[in-house]
Amino acid sequence: MYSRHAQRITPGNKMASRKEGTGSTATSSSSTTGAAGKGKGKGGSGDSAVKQVQIDGLVVLKIIKHYQEEGQGTEVVQGVLLGLVVEDRLEITNCFPFPQHTEDDADFDEVQYQMEMMRSLRHVNIDHLHVGWYQSTYYGSFVTRALLDSQFSYQHAIEESVVLIYDPIKTAQGSLSLKAYRLTPKLMEVCKEKDFPEALKKANITFEYMFEEVPIVIKNSHLINVLMWELEKKSAVADKHELLSLASSNHLGKNLQLLMDRVDEMSQDIVKYNTYMRNTSKQQQQKHQYQQRRQQENMQRQSRGEPPLPEEDLSKLFKPPQPPARMDSLLIAGQINTYCQNIKEFTAQNLGKLFMAQALQEYNN
Amino acid sequence: MSRFFTTGSDSESESSLSGEELVTKPVGGNYGKQPLLLSEDEEDTKRVVRSAKDKRFEELTNLIRTIRNAMKIRDVTKCLEEFELLGKAYGKAKSIVDKEGVPRFYIRILADLEDYLNELWEDKEGKKKMNKNNAKALSTLRQKIRKYNRDFELEAHLLNWECMTELSGGGVGWTDGWRASMIVLSLPSVQNPEQSADEDAEKNEEDSEGSSDEDEDEDGVSAATFLKKKSEAPSGESRKFLKKMDDEDEDSEDSEDDEDWDTGSTSSDSDSEEEEGKQTALASRFLKKAPTTDEDKKAAEKKREDKAKKKHDRKSKRLDEEEEDNEGGEWERVRGGVPLVKEKPKMFAKGTEITHAVVIKKLNEILQARGKKGTDRAAQIELLQLLVQIAAENNLGEGVIVKIKFNIIASLYDYNPNLATYMKPEMWGKCLDCINELMDILFANPNIFVGENILEESENLHNADQPLRVRGCILTLVERMDEEFTKIMQNTDPHSQEYVEHLKDEAQVCAIIERVQRYLEEKGTTEEVCRIYLLRILHTYYKFDYKAHQRQLTPPEGSSKSEQDQAENEGEDSAVLMERLCKYIYAKDRTDRIRTCAILCHIYHHALHSRWYQARDLMLMSHLQDNIQHADPPVQILYNRTMVQLGICAFRQGLTKDAHNALLDIQSSGRAKELLGQGLLLRSLQERNQEQEKVERRRQVPFHLHINLELLECVYLVSAMLLEIPYMAAHESDARRRMISKQFHHQLRVGERQPLLGPPESMREHVVAASKAMKMGDWKTCHSFIINEKMNGKVWDLFPEADKVRTMLVRKIQEESLRTYLFTYSSVYDSISMETLSDMFELDLPTVHSIISKMIINEELMASLDQPTQTVVMHRTEPTAQQNLALQLAEKLGSLVENNERVFDHKQGTYGATSEVNQKDGYRKTRATCAAVATASSHLKQPT
Repeated sequence: MYSRHAQRITPGNKMASRKEGTGSTATSSSSTTGAAGKGKGKGGSGDSAVKQVQIDGLVVLKIIKHYQEEGQGTEVVQGVLLGLVVEDRLEITNCFPFPQHTEDDADFDEVQYQMEMMRSLRHVNIDHLHVGWYQSTYYGSFVTRALLDSQFSYQHAIEESVVLIYDPIKTAQGSLSLKAYRLTPKLMEVCKEKDFPEALKKANITFEYMFEEVPIVIKNSHLINVLMWELEKKSAVADKHELLSLASSNHLGKNLQLLMDRVDEMSQDIVKYNTYMRNTSKQQQQKHQYQQRRQQENMQRQSRGEPPLPEEDLSKLFKPPQPPARMDSLLIAGQINTYCQNIKEFTAQNLGKLFMAQALQEYNN
Repeated sequence: MSRFFTTGSDSESESSLSGEELVTKPVGGNYGKQPLLLSEDEEDTKRVVRSAKDKRFEELTNLIRTIRNAMKIRDVTKCLEEFELLGKAYGKAKSIVDKEGVPRFYIRILADLEDYLNELWEDKEGKKKMNKNNAKALSTLRQKIRKYNRDFELEAHLLNWECMTELSGGGVGWTDGWRASMIVLSLPSVQNPEQSADEDAEKNEEDSEGSSDEDEDEDGVSAATFLKKKSEAPSGESRKFLKKMDDEDEDSEDSEDDEDWDTGSTSSDSDSEEEEGKQTALASRFLKKAPTTDEDKKAAEKKREDKAKKKHDRKSKRLDEEEEDNEGGEWERVRGGVPLVKEKPKMFAKGTEITHAVVIKKLNEILQARGKKGTDRAAQIELLQLLVQIAAENNLGEGVIVKIKFNIIASLYDYNPNLATYMKPEMWGKCLDCINELMDILFANPNIFVGENILEESENLHNADQPLRVRGCILTLVERMDEEFTKIMQNTDPHSQEYVEHLKDEAQVCAIIERVQRYLEEKGTTEEVCRIYLLRILHTYYKFDYKAHQRQLTPPEGSSKSEQDQAENEGEDSAVLMERLCKYIYAKDRTDRIRTCAILCHIYHHALHSRWYQARDLMLMSHLQDNIQHADPPVQILYNRTMVQLGICAFRQGLTKDAHNALLDIQSSGRAKELLGQGLLLRSLQERNQEQEKVERRRQVPFHLHINLELLECVYLVSAMLLEIPYMAAHESDARRRMISKQFHHQLRVGERQPLLGPPESMREHVVAASKAMKMGDWKTCHSFIINEKMNGKVWDLFPEADKVRTMLVRKIQEESLRTYLFTYSSVYDSISMETLSDMFELDLPTVHSIISKMIINEELMASLDQPTQTVVMHRTEPTAQQNLALQLAEKLGSLVENNERVFDHKQGTYGATSEVNQKDGYRKTRATCAAVATASSHLKQPT
């Protein structure tokens, strides 16, 4: 992961937000306003601007290709999605990748690059409206602060924007894994307030309500469909049955390992929270004692006819301990959730496969 | 002066002196190359009205003087500078030179300089010692002067020839002549302090004496004959004689010199005549003895100091004079020789009866000066030594001599003002000799009682009826000597020949300690005996007893042994010796420190000689491990050394685990060097100040006691490897496995981080490579990495029984590789034949059987042995990787839930209900995950 800062200067956006993981910020002002206008017009009161995402086959292939070429291991690749909103459907018709950064071209201008790119695309008459971004993931570990931040700034500027998460490992196992996510309006509210602990408490939000998944439809032109049929006939049988592979241990092990790490973090967070709780209650007690003492003293003074002691600022005397960051644990919980989903999905599939294999074996015998 | 020359014994001693000198005269020849033209120059500066010639020549002479001074102190760089200036000055004076001819002194300096440089050039030793600048200047100057002199050659020849003809004594070359004169001229530095009141007169005297002496040499008249003449002749005659000589001198000398000599001769007074005999004697003595004028200067300085110090005391003044006489030559050589005969009477007033009281009084006088500022320590030692001689000559009895000797040794120790500096070798030699002599006396006279508790008042130094009692502690002296020895060793470069030389003294030190030990065994208190025993122990414990070792290897074969062998084998086994000494200390010692040290040394000695069990038991029984942190740093260092030796010993015995445990503390700190007192860490240099550093430096163990750090590290790493690799293999997937050795893991990681893995170079790389091989169960590769040429040279050959250690090591590697193999690959096998294993690891069947049985019993290996077929049948009950992970996860989740519940408890009532829901939800979720994982893993178990 790499981080970069970018100033976002778009109308309707009051703050400059620090963004991590993506730099797709500059959109031509005309397109933004247009898109936003459309979104508002179609989506109504902002409950959910987009109900469905329709992706062109071309975009999927481009994303896959991008990862094949540049991503490896835990490294992720990112890019910009282009398209437009039609009614409550977001059509993603094209995309382009962010170039991979190396140390020596640190002065590379992201914004400039995107502008250039979109302008060039417009020249060849391709949709050039910025509607979101995509990112690859390593065993489904994408619920991070960076993703949250950048998706927030996207959604803040372009309401209908989505993030596409592409899981190359699952895809390699035979089933394409591409998911579109958006931040829930609740979370958007929270993020806007910027005061996470308080806002989160108020919003009463849990990890389940952080992201909403938008259903995806992959749409190909008829010509492509025809070609696909052609190809299917020609391809060897083995190619099609990666899905049936019984080798599951590696993937599962990896997932478990990651899950364990997250659980460890969670434990730490809880321990942190525990100490925080202890500290606050201790302080409360002290505060209470202090007040009582004060009161007693004042009573005595009163009886002696002396003026009461002046009131002191208690908050100065007792500084409340720093509460632990809630957002982080929330994200971890979300991540754990994702892992669990993954594992569940995976094991369910595998079990099915195993039963199939068993049945097959019995049949053969 | 006159006072002292009127004493009767004077002339005799003088003549005997000069008589001796005659024989040794030629030796002094080389000295003449460093003359001192002091008198002329000083005379010159007084002049006010000068001609151009004078001015130029003065310039030249001044430069020449500087050159000569530089030559004296061997400052070649200075010489070079001055020589260049001289060349320029000569150029300026060219017009005068043309008129007057080349001045003789100029040629003289050129010739001198060339001689001097050649001498320096030849002196390879000296050249090596010279610093770089000087060496460079030397070669430059040498070349320059050669070139310069070539130009001058013609003139020089001419002059040379002239001189030859001019000189009266044809047999003696002119150069020799003037050289002699130079020598005499250097006399002022040996002035008599009494005379120095009248500086001018003195100078004149010297001049005259110088000239006379010169003449004497030129004429080939020996000092002895001259002396005789003088004693016969009345004063008037001698004066005439002097005059005559001066005249001769004027003839022979150059014009510019004439004036000087003139004034010198005319102003010489009667004093000089009386003195001249002595002076000439001195002069000739110079020829013989003084090696460098520097020495004289020093001596002169010393004298001046002495004078200031002792002016008040007439007696001591005399002593002083005599001292000067003594030091006029090089004092060291003079000590035992003739001067003593002469000086004896001067130590005390003439005719004074030398009694105990007088000597003791003198001794106290000398001692009072001790420690005072401005006291010359060297002179003091000298005085004390003289006093001993006097006492011995006058048969004052051993008591006095012992007393003085004590004081001499004490002054020798005092010689160095601060603790950090160490004794000079000659001082050290003297000190050893002195102690030896003292011991001789003490052994020869059993009736002398020595002790520090004897008060000054109750001393009995001379009453022969009662036993002699002397204050002083021989033990303290020896302990101090030992300290000094350590200091010398610490301050010597351990890789130099010098160190070896110093180390040779160790035998002497040991011998002295042994003698003192014998002495104290008879006379000392138990406490003293304990102390000297400890000293003995400290000089014994670290030495490997090769003889005893040899004896062990070859058990006595009756009478077949040759005589020589027996002679060699005589002497106590160091083990027996240590046992005896230590037991005594254990029983008798009342100070904790000595006992602690003794125990540690004993353990060390045991460990060094591979008596592991004795060493270990002693270590455990002493309970030193519990309270060593309260000991002082040197003892702690000793403790560390002992532990390390113990570890190495355990390793040699094949007890890897014990070895590892013993070495763990030292090695894990990463400061082994510092902990063993074998060097300071650079890292902490800035943390400590100067003072601390000095203290630490003093704690360092001398090099010959060092334990090889590489050996130590290797032993540690190899034992760690033998322990850790099987352990790692056994607990591959155990999340909670702990590292046995952090350092070993660190090395492994370093090895892994290497981008390109070449063949191992260093010891560490070898061990890492071997570990990797062992991890795969490949014992042969492992073996070849651990034991090969390189490692033999670096490590294994350092052991006394290298081959035994190597055999042990091979066997260990085989065994541990077998274990590792079984741990790693047991999941692949259903069953495996033990015979195959025994073939694979080249171990015999029973060993394999026992190893596997042990593993099964310890529940490390889930298998059973099938006796009839000699196979190991695996049970395959070990969880798979996923199952392991799932178990770990379940565990983690358990703890998470626990934590969560604690939070929940906390919250009840105190916090808002909103977060309660939140937490509860989370809690439910984790439970659900737990269940999911559990089902997943249980399902996964079924299929294969």
